[in-house]
Amino acid sequence: MLFRRSQQRILKINMAYDVTWYPFKDKPDADSCWALHTGPDGRVYVAACAESAPGGVVALTRYKRETDSVEYLFDLDTKVDDPRDNGRATQCKIHYSFAPSASDGIMYMATHLSGPPIDLPAYSPWNFWHNKERCFRGAALLAFDTKNDQVLWSDTLIPKEGCRCLLLDEERSLLYALSYPRDHFIIYDLKKRTSRDVGRIGSVNSQALFSDKKHRIWTTDDYGHLVRYDPERGRLDRSPFVLPHTGPVQNGWHSVFYDVVASPERDCVYAVTWNGGAHLMRIWPNEGEWGRVEDLGTVTPPHDLTVPENFYVDHCGGLTFAADGMLYFAASHWEGEFPSNSDAINHVDGPDSPRRVEGVVYRMDPRTLKREKIAQLRRPDASSHYVSRGAVDKHGDLFFGHVGRTPVGFFKVAMPDDRRKKDAHLPLRTWG
Amino acid sequence: MQKRKFYDPNQPGAKALRDSIVHGAAITEGTMVAFPTCFPNVTEAVRADESFIRAMDITADGIVYAGTSGYASHILVGMFHGITGMVFDLGVAEGATECAAVCCGQQSIVAAVNGPSGARLVRRPLQPLPFDLIQEWHMWRVPFQYTDLGLSAGRVLHAVTDLGRATVIGVTESSLFTFEIETGTLRTVSEIPCSGRLARGSGGNIFGRDGAEHLWKFDPRSQQLTRKAVPLPKGEWSSAPLLWARDEADGQGALYLADARGTLFRFHEKTGFGSALATIPLSPIGAMAVTFDGRIFASAGDGIARMFCVQPSTGKISDLGVAVSVIERRRYGYCFGDAVVGRDGEIIFGENDDLGHLWLYFPKIIRPAV
Repeated sequence: MLFRRSQQRILKINMAYDVTWYPFKDKPDADSCWALHTGPDGRVYVAACAESAPGGVVALTRYKRETDSVEYLFDLDTKVDDPRDNGRATQCKIHYSFAPSASDGIMYMATHLSGPPIDLPAYSPWNFWHNKERCFRGAALLAFDTKNDQVLWSDTLIPKEGCRCLLLDEERSLLYALSYPRDHFIIYDLKKRTSRDVGRIGSVNSQALFSDKKHRIWTTDDYGHLVRYDPERGRLDRSPFVLPHTGPVQNGWHSVFYDVVASPERDCVYAVTWNGGAHLMRIWPNEGEWGRVEDLGTVTPPHDLTVPENFYVDHCGGLTFAADGMLYFAASHWEGEFPSNSDAINHVDGPDSPRRVEGVVYRMDPRTLKREKIAQLRRPDASSHYVSRGAVDKHGDLFFGHVGRTPVGFFKVAMPDDRRKKDAHLPLRTWG
Repeated sequence: MQKRKFYDPNQPGAKALRDSIVHGAAITEGTMVAFPTCFPNVTEAVRADESFIRAMDITADGIVYAGTSGYASHILVGMFHGITGMVFDLGVAEGATECAAVCCGQQSIVAAVNGPSGARLVRRPLQPLPFDLIQEWHMWRVPFQYTDLGLSAGRVLHAVTDLGRATVIGVTESSLFTFEIETGTLRTVSEIPCSGRLARGSGGNIFGRDGAEHLWKFDPRSQQLTRKAVPLPKGEWSSAPLLWARDEADGQGALYLADARGTLFRFHEKTGFGSALATIPLSPIGAMAVTFDGRIFASAGDGIARMFCVQPSTGKISDLGVAVSVIERRRYGYCFGDAVVGRDGEIIFGENDDLGHLWLYFPKIIRPAV
């Protein structure tokens, strides 16, 4: 059967969790929030990205609990001497590239490309690679001291390329990154402030890295294989198997990581792929030669397999462990035929007006693997199904970054009191 | 720094400009097919960090041989015509991490490799055509035979065959040598400092770099080496690796040579070098080949190379954009290390990158003027 209608009823949710929407009101060109992360201070930092408008730049913001509002810290171009009007591709976003350091209170962040130069309607990293005036200067790496809100230093992490995702190995003072568009695996030594290019992985950029207890760094290749960098070997190795994917049409291609979160015990990770009909999975990296992968099933409704999945509509992200030891994540949900992109992004009149695709927050018990829908993400003016990253602040509340209608923003999902604890953000997630 | 003015993305012409920026980036003429270093769905590809392809050759009937570099050096055969469609890893050259050249003989191939085991020649019989790679196949590996070039020779830099494909003529950092393919006889012709790649001229002589401003000439038939036989044309040769391409179809066996700036010169044994034909706007040139109608196709530029087409008769250069494959494999092609002309005039590029593929480029067929 080509078309498989969802058997699920939409959104009969007991809303014990209050959801609040925080648009980037002071940054009207913010069209995406690709990075949202808890800092070493337990506060939530959010990237207000502007990747579509000519000359758009990312602003670093933070959720301010005292006023229950968005606090704007700085426009990033001003901190790295790469002004938005210089004719280059701009420092337009931070893309899964926050990496907090618990020991010294520094939040590392790296920028990504695609924002057009101020005097052009579009940017192509392939087309402008050799153009000295237009080419993106490179992913900027900033060390932001959260204790006194100062940028301590900055550097170019990857010349001419963006940083798709970032990871900190605090013990070894190393940052790991994936470059875009060339998909190279980069190691940055924080003590020497030098970088090393280990090599290319493929063409489809993985969206996440994770590390294990042996300081090995994991990601994925184009064909859904796990890719692992072992510092002892100094090489990138690939798993002999491919990650779970949706049959009958997929074969593992494009089953790259979208989001990965470590369990509180740090013995396994939960991951979701960046693919249509994405699968949630649990990976035990320290078991056997290549770890053990458990397929936890799909997270979005099935759909007509004669239509390519729209990656904006069919989406899952925001994997986060909260103080109650449960995994939370957000996934898009629809009923009936697969919604179109315009369905998903169209303006709606008010929070209660119907919409074709919804952003649903799930809570999963790692012991039983049972999932329940616990909240619906609703911004008043548009669909809110696309969540990039999630985080828990030190008070135990959940936050989700959103990509959608301009201006975007983020959600706070207030946790019930019995599911909070002090310093709920610990242990810190050290990759974006 | 010049400040630029805001571009209104809603202004007339914005869509066309946006489309030209985005869609003008990838190959704009012809079709590229990235073929993995395996028999798809049957065998594993070569490890990503052992698959930098910088050396290729092709037999008279269109079977492609390639050597890889990286943590190990593999010798590959690629078959793309008839009921084939595979790359077969013929094996790892023991103790080698770099393949500098692959030469197809009448019955065997010879690869010139470097690595911890020193500079060596690796020989094995040509791979026979398989029965039918749709239904059933019967392939196995044949052991390599190794010939050491000697520790004092330094790295082997390049090698080509003579006209009859009976002899390999090669250079190390310090010598010119010959190797009889079927007997395995190695002979040092001369102890001379060498650099760059070799080429076989229209008359069957072999040419190699001789100092900063000349080429030497070696006649494989008489075994005679002539020093400073041909002056290089005016160009940037100091760091040029001497990248050659042969026009197999013009009936004269002309060669093209690129200098370090990407300037192309035509060379013929009888007439020597002509004046500069054209300058490809990016350098270095990684790979270059000439199809049957005389068009030169080259991959040039660091980091993300672009493909160029040069029409020698007019000197016109077309920038074809970045190599992209959407058939067989979905892949961007950023760096190429060698190229050969296929059976039907297609160009086969060796990808000099992690997870290198063999890229078949089918050039655009020129619409005749009405």
